[in-house]
Amino acid sequence: MGKKLWLFGLLMLALLIFVACSDKDSEGDAEDTNPGKAETGDENDRTLTIAIGADMVTFDVHDHINTSTEAIHVNMFNYLVKRDNETGEIVPDLAESFENIDDYTWEFKLKEGVTFHNGDELTSADVKYSLERVAYGEELRDYTNYNQIKEVEIIDDYTFRIITHEPEPVLLNRISRIASGILPSKYIEENGFDHFLENPIGTGPFQFVEWVRDDRIVFEVYDDYFGGKNPDWDKLVFRIIPENSTRVSELLTGGVDIAVNVPPADWERVENHEGTYLAQETSNRTLMIFLRSTEGYPTSDQRVREALDLAIDNGAIVESLLGGAGVPTITRVAPGNFGFAEHLYDTYNYDPERAKELLEEAGYPDGFEMTFHSPRGRYLQDAEIAEMVAGMWAQIGVTANIEFMEWSNFVELRNAKENKDAYLLGLGNSMFDAANALDYYSATRFEGETDYRNDELEELLAAAMSNMDPKERSEQYVRAQEIIAEDVAHIVLHQESINIGVSERINYTPTMDEMIYVETITKK
Amino acid sequence: MNYFIKRVLEIIPVLFIISFIVFVLVFVAGDPVALLLPEDAPEEAVETLRTSLGLDDPFYVQYGRYVVNMLQGDFGDSFRYGQDAMSLVLERLPATLELAIASILVAIMIAIPLGIWSSTKKNSSIDLVATGAAVLGKAMPNFWLGIMLILLFSVTLDMLPVSGRGSFSHLILPAITLGTGIAAEMTRLIRSSMLETLSQDYIRTAKSKGLRTGIVVYKHAFRNTLVPVVTIIALQTSTLIGGTLITETVFAWPGIGQLLIQAVNTRDMAIVQACVMVIAFFVIVMNLIADLLYQVLDPRIRYK
Amino acid sequence: MPDSLPMQNNLVKNSKWKRWLKLLLRSKTGTVGLLIVLTIVFVAIFAPWLAPYEHSVIDPLNTHKPPFWMEGGDMANVLGTDNLGRDILSRIIYGSQVSLLVGISSVVLAGVIGVLVGLFAGYFGGFLDAFFMRLADSFLAIPNILLALVMLGVFGPGLMTLILVLGVTNWVQYARIIRGEVLSIKERDFVRAAKTIGVKNRNIIFSHLYPNVISSFIVVATLSVASTIILESSLSFLGLGIQPPQVSWGTILSDGRDYLATSWWLATFPGLAITIAVLGIIFLGDWLRDVMDPRSVK
Repeated sequence: MGKKLWLFGLLMLALLIFVACSDKDSEGDAEDTNPGKAETGDENDRTLTIAIGADMVTFDVHDHINTSTEAIHVNMFNYLVKRDNETGEIVPDLAESFENIDDYTWEFKLKEGVTFHNGDELTSADVKYSLERVAYGEELRDYTNYNQIKEVEIIDDYTFRIITHEPEPVLLNRISRIASGILPSKYIEENGFDHFLENPIGTGPFQFVEWVRDDRIVFEVYDDYFGGKNPDWDKLVFRIIPENSTRVSELLTGGVDIAVNVPPADWERVENHEGTYLAQETSNRTLMIFLRSTEGYPTSDQRVREALDLAIDNGAIVESLLGGAGVPTITRVAPGNFGFAEHLYDTYNYDPERAKELLEEAGYPDGFEMTFHSPRGRYLQDAEIAEMVAGMWAQIGVTANIEFMEWSNFVELRNAKENKDAYLLGLGNSMFDAANALDYYSATRFEGETDYRNDELEELLAAAMSNMDPKERSEQYVRAQEIIAEDVAHIVLHQESINIGVSERINYTPTMDEMIYVETITKK
Repeated sequence: MNYFIKRVLEIIPVLFIISFIVFVLVFVAGDPVALLLPEDAPEEAVETLRTSLGLDDPFYVQYGRYVVNMLQGDFGDSFRYGQDAMSLVLERLPATLELAIASILVAIMIAIPLGIWSSTKKNSSIDLVATGAAVLGKAMPNFWLGIMLILLFSVTLDMLPVSGRGSFSHLILPAITLGTGIAAEMTRLIRSSMLETLSQDYIRTAKSKGLRTGIVVYKHAFRNTLVPVVTIIALQTSTLIGGTLITETVFAWPGIGQLLIQAVNTRDMAIVQACVMVIAFFVIVMNLIADLLYQVLDPRIRYK
Repeated sequence: MPDSLPMQNNLVKNSKWKRWLKLLLRSKTGTVGLLIVLTIVFVAIFAPWLAPYEHSVIDPLNTHKPPFWMEGGDMANVLGTDNLGRDILSRIIYGSQVSLLVGISSVVLAGVIGVLVGLFAGYFGGFLDAFFMRLADSFLAIPNILLALVMLGVFGPGLMTLILVLGVTNWVQYARIIRGEVLSIKERDFVRAAKTIGVKNRNIIFSHLYPNVISSFIVVATLSVASTIILESSLSFLGLGIQPPQVSWGTILSDGRDYLATSWWLATFPGLAITIAVLGIIFLGDWLRDVMDPRSVK
């Protein structure tokens, strides 16, 4: 009988080994795909491993509207033009030059000799296919940001024109962001889109190797990249590590080179640890509280909205929850964006006494009760911020019942317009133009959701939308922001910070657009 | 053998009931169309997609279609990944199994010594300490234990890798995290089965013959720990697989657990259904195997 | 004669208590377990008087304050404050309420469902029995946490949903155990006798079977409270636990986990609370099993 125990143990061990091995076979060389710290030597030396918090959504560039997915895509796809993160100017990428022909038309010339990862050369047909796919594809998530495009007209293999329905002052911003990646039309036509999704190719510095769902996405360097082969990295691995503390621990032990979204609690640790440092940058994302202006809600009264805003000590939130990183602001349009209103930035209104007075004037001397929805784990310290805001509102007598929602439920709630008095939302602006940011205050877009409406604002926004005079357009947007601030249409909290832990062996400076450009990451 | 044929046949209604429960939950969850389309998609686009996914059909039609597909192992495509849900799940299964088996081994290594030790010193302080130590593993929430193990063994002592799957050393921390949880039950059963054996006549006889206690315990009573070990493995398979949800998240272990949590969060119901069915099937099979093993291990157990 | 009855009752009660006490003191683990459980129940009931502060009051200027014995800590916040400046001791004291509430009510709910199913399925047998046992097998094959995860994902988190979900996922173990007991008892003489003299089924179930199976129930239920507390904390970890301003040990622990390396007290104290509570409940449950189960080895 004693023998049977050993037999049993052996059986279990055998099973374990079997399972372990059988899987290695299917995955290829397991060690090869696992950049643990146990590995050393040249191969590891030329592998860049980046730990991210959530898996990417898809390789369909037009159908994700997800910043962290785009942060990966930028390494394998290229836009026609891109925004220079230092100067804020739009500079050529796949395009060699571009020219504004008239209010409705832009003409572009492509660089010659750009190839996709399968060797096909990039031509105007690829541009036409890519932009028209999203401009006409109602079912695609980025459709509304591209349906301003009427047509892409091919002049020759390297020359084409983009024609818009209306005068389009922000066309260049539009095509230098999410969903602007140029896809290989010939490859897709030959193999089908599903094949492309499984075996995506682009024109970028890195080419796709494999995507193990919720585990890792692996790329290798593309030798014939038109910008020159990347000198530092042969291999690029994005590892998905959802748990914050695990991600930070991997960085500290050298398991990964870069860890994104380091929580404030660990900043000092990462900074002080030998072998790692913290790289910070202000993001173009602003955290806001959307309020219902709908008839029947207390927040339909401007005085109540103002009171709620005055009750919040934005400075305290930034200091105590965000470790001082983040900029309190009254407007969503941040520096670096077209239409920036300086006097509304890096400042906030805080006056709890005045808030109480306003509540009393509005007929709520004893405050009121409201529902406050908030996502959790989506933005830096979102849940903590929601709790602190609720605590500050409690000081002026307003009881906010927080309901934390898992992201997809939260999206559904908003889509169904079932949102209550208030919800917390962080919004980026990949167009870097007030047009995109202020569209959130237009009456039609949020009908039934916030029901905010100001006729003067409507006129301003409509006029600015197709105004080709930059100076006048900028003034219109600044005025629009003043109106929004007076109305307290939303409560604007602060501009977020990007907080990335980086290994000492590399140089990395995060950029405001939250992308991870591996080209800018170099070995020390 | 009849008994086993009966047991195998019983699996069929069970799997049907499970599929029904899961289907009802998914049905109640509402349709995923809202998440599939852009925020301000036109009403017609929503309707077209609903119809093309067959979400307009009445409940029984949808369920019927689901069962027919399920019998062919087809749970539909994952909304999130646009891939066959079942193959995505099966791809992840080996990682989860590896972790589960390693955890069982850890549990056995903890439970057998503790169980025997505590039974020989019943109700003494040693018993209290041994039982306490075993129960401690169960009493600590898995994610807490996991994070602390990482901080201690990986960050501070720099002995083991933090997360991910690959070499043997990647397996150690997650297996300890998960294994300690089931060690408690195992220890308890081993202890009581040891106590039972120790009080039986032949042991007393052996003792009275002057055999040393150590030999008595290890030679005669030890083998009786086999039955409880098998029982626990069968009974705890479900707990174990459940525990992988947490452990895999903490250690970024690329198994079913992580896939499932992401699927629930993103309403990727094809994956949820496939995951639940695969896990349930696995649990059922483990229980069957345990039944078989009982017979091999303990001739006293005979089924009608 | 009527006068002496209560007296006698008292005597019987007294000696019963003494017997239990004697049994208890014989087991070290049992004694420790009972003491822990009594303490927690006491803390939960008197939380508003015991807690130095309201559990949800935030203080942005007083965050991450360490426990009193460390540099920077003081007696105002004995166990320190969390990332929002809330007093950790108060949160743990108030957290015991929700943790126990979730643990006990979901177990009661599961118990009611399970005991009823077990009694009826065991007593009537036949199709009813077969159906419920297959249903039970189905639930057993799906890990609790998985079912809870999917259900909470569908219905959305919250205290009531959590109790309902945990109740619905846990009934099976009671049903199986009670059914087994019923199967063995119903063949005994006194039940047969009752049947022959025409006592109604319902009466047999509730006056004969029920009292005989209830001790098994209590043992399993006690242990189940422990696993529910753990399960609740796991669900908090997955973001599906109790919602603020309500607070449970699971949520405090889960909220504090990002700070384990920096402000260790945020997650360590609630973690200890859970561990000690679960340890106590398991000790008590194991002891109850030993005393109540006539077949267990003495």
